[in-house]
Amino acid sequence: MSWTGTSVRRKEDDRLVRGRGLFTDDELEPGMLHLHILRSPYAHARIVRIDTSAAEALPGVACVLTGREVAAQCDPVMQLGPPPCDKIRDLPMAVDKVIFQGEPVAAVAADSVALAEDAAALIDVEYEMLDAVVDAEDALSDRSILHEAAGTNRTWQGVYEYGDVEGAFRDAAFVVRIPRMQFHRFASTPLENNACIAEWKRQGGVDFLCNNSFPGFAQQLLAPGLRLKADQVHIRTYDVGGSFGNQIWNYVYMAVAALVSKKTGGRRVKWAETRSEHLLASGHGNERTYLDTEVALDREGVITAVRSRHIDDCGAYTRYEPLGCVIWSQVLAATYKVRNLRIDFTQTVTNKCPVVPNRGYSRMQQLWFMERIVDICAHELGLPADEMRLKNYITQFPYETPNGCVYDSGDYPAMLTRAKELIGWDRWQKECAAGRKAGRLIGIGIGTTLDSGTNNFGQARIMNPYLPFSGNSEVCTMRLDLEGAVIVCLGTTPSGQGHETAASQVAADVLGIDPSMVHVRPGFDTAWNTFVGHSGTYASQFAVTGLSAVHGAAQKLKAEMRRLAAYMLEAAEEDLEFGTGAQGPEVRVKGTDKAINYWYMANLVNNNNALLDASLADVTLNVRHVYRPPFKVPDTERKFGNLTLTYAAQLHIAVVEVSRETCRPQILAYAAVDDCGTLINPQIAHGQVHGATSHGIGAAIMESLDYDESGNLLTGTFSDYCPITALNLPDIAWGNIETPSPFTYSGAKGMGEGGGAPLHTMSAALQDALHGAGVIVTGSHHPAPRLFEILQKPNRAEAVSVERRGGKQARR
Amino acid sequence: MYPAPFRYHRAATVEEAIARLVEIGEGARALAGGQTLLVWLKMRFDEPTDLVDIGRLPGLRDIEQEAGRVRIGALATHARIARAPLARQIPIVGDCASGIADNQVRSRGTIGGSLAAGDPSCDWPVLLTTLDAEVHCRGPSGTRTLPADGFVQDLYATRLEHGELVTGVSFALPGKGSAGAYVGFKRCAPAFPTSSVGVQLTLNGDDCTEARIALGSAGLTTIRAKAAEAELRGRTLGAGVIAKAAAAAAAAAEPVADQRGSPAFKRSLIDALVKRGVEVARRRARGETVEVSHEYY
Repeated sequence: MSWTGTSVRRKEDDRLVRGRGLFTDDELEPGMLHLHILRSPYAHARIVRIDTSAAEALPGVACVLTGREVAAQCDPVMQLGPPPCDKIRDLPMAVDKVIFQGEPVAAVAADSVALAEDAAALIDVEYEMLDAVVDAEDALSDRSILHEAAGTNRTWQGVYEYGDVEGAFRDAAFVVRIPRMQFHRFASTPLENNACIAEWKRQGGVDFLCNNSFPGFAQQLLAPGLRLKADQVHIRTYDVGGSFGNQIWNYVYMAVAALVSKKTGGRRVKWAETRSEHLLASGHGNERTYLDTEVALDREGVITAVRSRHIDDCGAYTRYEPLGCVIWSQVLAATYKVRNLRIDFTQTVTNKCPVVPNRGYSRMQQLWFMERIVDICAHELGLPADEMRLKNYITQFPYETPNGCVYDSGDYPAMLTRAKELIGWDRWQKECAAGRKAGRLIGIGIGTTLDSGTNNFGQARIMNPYLPFSGNSEVCTMRLDLEGAVIVCLGTTPSGQGHETAASQVAADVLGIDPSMVHVRPGFDTAWNTFVGHSGTYASQFAVTGLSAVHGAAQKLKAEMRRLAAYMLEAAEEDLEFGTGAQGPEVRVKGTDKAINYWYMANLVNNNNALLDASLADVTLNVRHVYRPPFKVPDTERKFGNLTLTYAAQLHIAVVEVSRETCRPQILAYAAVDDCGTLINPQIAHGQVHGATSHGIGAAIMESLDYDESGNLLTGTFSDYCPITALNLPDIAWGNIETPSPFTYSGAKGMGEGGGAPLHTMSAALQDALHGAGVIVTGSHHPAPRLFEILQKPNRAEAVSVERRGGKQARR
Repeated sequence: MYPAPFRYHRAATVEEAIARLVEIGEGARALAGGQTLLVWLKMRFDEPTDLVDIGRLPGLRDIEQEAGRVRIGALATHARIARAPLARQIPIVGDCASGIADNQVRSRGTIGGSLAAGDPSCDWPVLLTTLDAEVHCRGPSGTRTLPADGFVQDLYATRLEHGELVTGVSFALPGKGSAGAYVGFKRCAPAFPTSSVGVQLTLNGDDCTEARIALGSAGLTTIRAKAAEAELRGRTLGAGVIAKAAAAAAAAAEPVADQRGSPAFKRSLIDALVKRGVEVARRRARGETVEVSHEYY
């Protein structure tokens, strides 16, 4: 039998549900200092004066650190973007001015966290207010500039153009124009806030226990910032309670904690973010505005060209940005076969919390845009929603997109069929039609989306040709320990995805043993464990990069074991088989009872090696394998190349009714069909689908990070932000199809992010419900108050126009 | 997220609690379930020097009925009230108690604390106004009884004097033909309602002889919708009459714009909730069992 494809019970759950996990904030020891960060109450202000004397005088306070000291001891973090990004000075604490509400202004270390907060309240900061810019288009006017040295708020601009856009518009039968659409700001709310413990070592360097989810990258940013060698930055993780990309950026606070530890002579310093801080100032998702969108269609409703102008709002700093300015192009035309596209893409900073990668990072914004186009065109041209999709879906795989990405496999029509069955499409169509006749605001909508996984870091060069990044990799080391147990170490930083379980399944399949005999060591460690520069857990790639590394390592280990066994059993390697016998896992001569078990093999290499022949000198039973996906460096001039290895797909259908009484958008039925190629562990995949669906529904109807015009966050508590909980969720009918990826050893595709499917789906269902009321859905967030406003002032007249060119011949 | 330092005292008796509060003066706050106060302290909206814990005072959590009146001790938690036979006997009480926030808050928060907090979004002041309840208080100058209607005077301000505690509330058992409903609308369980409405009607068939309507999260305090009551009182309930009452209630509201919605949205919601509340009260008066509470996404 194969363990791949089996819902093996999650190994890590025994530890986690019994409360025996080790999360950063669990670590506590006498003498440890606790850090509290004083944050700016203003979005844009000059720091005139800081007086820390009263705070420093409070008994129990070890030290106070201000931006000036940080600036003296720390170099700005490397900027990824091309000029003017190189002029952006990103330090972990504000020095002369603050540029978003919640930006760190000072840090206090004290014997307890409460005491540190008391002391912070005694710090006197004088601010001189500056004009805040919170709207992206306003920011681009440069009337108030955040990074004065850069001279502009614009951080990136580029045109992505493919095919013959002008020709397609010339020949179009219909041109649909949508002047403005908006994707809102939200984040994924991991269960565990950001946290780190730093200890500046007397011999130089710094030790961290943290929950950073991309430590390979964090090390490369922290070391030069802290003026250390990379090897002196020792980063360790253990259990992490969710990340969704949000925790990639927390190296900023790791730097603050390190400098505080340094100032206190090397005492261990813990920083554990509060939920309020997390909402205010950790990391938000990218906002995007889509302007002057034009869609060309032929007579049949096939989209032949799209052109548009996109403005991305990345908040106050470019931290991981402007990578988002290129990452969306992994899914340029989404699941649709349109070949002619022109997107003029601009990014700006604003006086809001910096954005960081957030589940579905930068692609869901593009997928939502394409889904809105398809959906609005269908409604405006009177084409049924399902037919419109079927006319436009890509159907041949592998498929090279206009910008050179290769969609590995997929079957969107089959997913649509499955989702229709799950939800009861025909019955709901009838009910929606009858309901609308009776005055109900009820609709059904389809969202088709992609989760592009295992990215080619070479795409960063499209954003900045001088970046020294390309490809991708992950590493696994595997060994037989002294007692013959299979020990697996990974470079990943699991935060709930079940890496210990899935890695065990893969190793068990290669070796022909039970997954319980494989021991996966969780936790990342730059000093004592294996890692590569891409190591971490992000961007939907573990099933491909992580498990391919495990698979490769298991094969290397197996090859060594086979050589060893052949020698000891005096048999030819091809006569051997792996399995489990009376004395546990073993290698035996086929058809005989001659066997050698794992314990004896480990014993031979580790404690008993005089029995071995010199020809086995290279057998260590301790192997390392680095998986490298087959990528090339993209053509940066043409913005062309394969940017991701796998394309998992999600097809969701929702039935939604907007209450005439309360404007509540109630989900009456919901179906989610997933295709992530070969399933490794169906239960874990199912869980990921539920999680991603919950996040997406939350983002669509509940969660929004709203600011007032002065840059004050208005949704800074759970009462206002309202993250989704189980109580807000409908039952989700789950379905699955498998189109194995031809590009991965197992056929599996990364699938952790889920493509933001519910955002597209809810928008489409609401479009169907409200089109009759004169509403065009041009935003991604639909709480009751907003639905009320739009129903009061239907927007169809200004939100969309359709040019019908009767006379001309439209091309197919 | 950590309160400023404070001293903590636990009182053994009501007398001791009052004495302590008076003795310490301005900087002292009474702590019961803590579901409002502790949040304020953690956000450092309030920095009292002393907390006097009244949470374990004896005899203040009982729910009793005597001589046609219901009396609820100030320390009865929302969850305790929701589980009590009273919640089924007088469904409007169950509607309110079971819809407050989430399980965790309901298990700690108390009816007395909810009144004393004076928060315009709290549900109990609205319900108790609807039921024409009385608030029993005890302070340095003895005991007194105040009407629930008007007990909360302004944003976070009540008629309680310093050192004075709410010890309980009481209201008349609804008589024959009298039924009510408490309906709220909020975005998710732990959020405060966007709007909430209490309706108590006395009906003879569809003829309304008495009506009380109160609105929550609709202004700086609970708002009694007297004009809406007048639209119902002495009339036969029908769609037109109910619509007039709902419109009058919406007009009486003074909602402010916030993340929960614009004033226009909140008025529209109040209109809808009054209609829903009247309809449920009418069905209950007929003897139907109707489950209703806060609605959320």
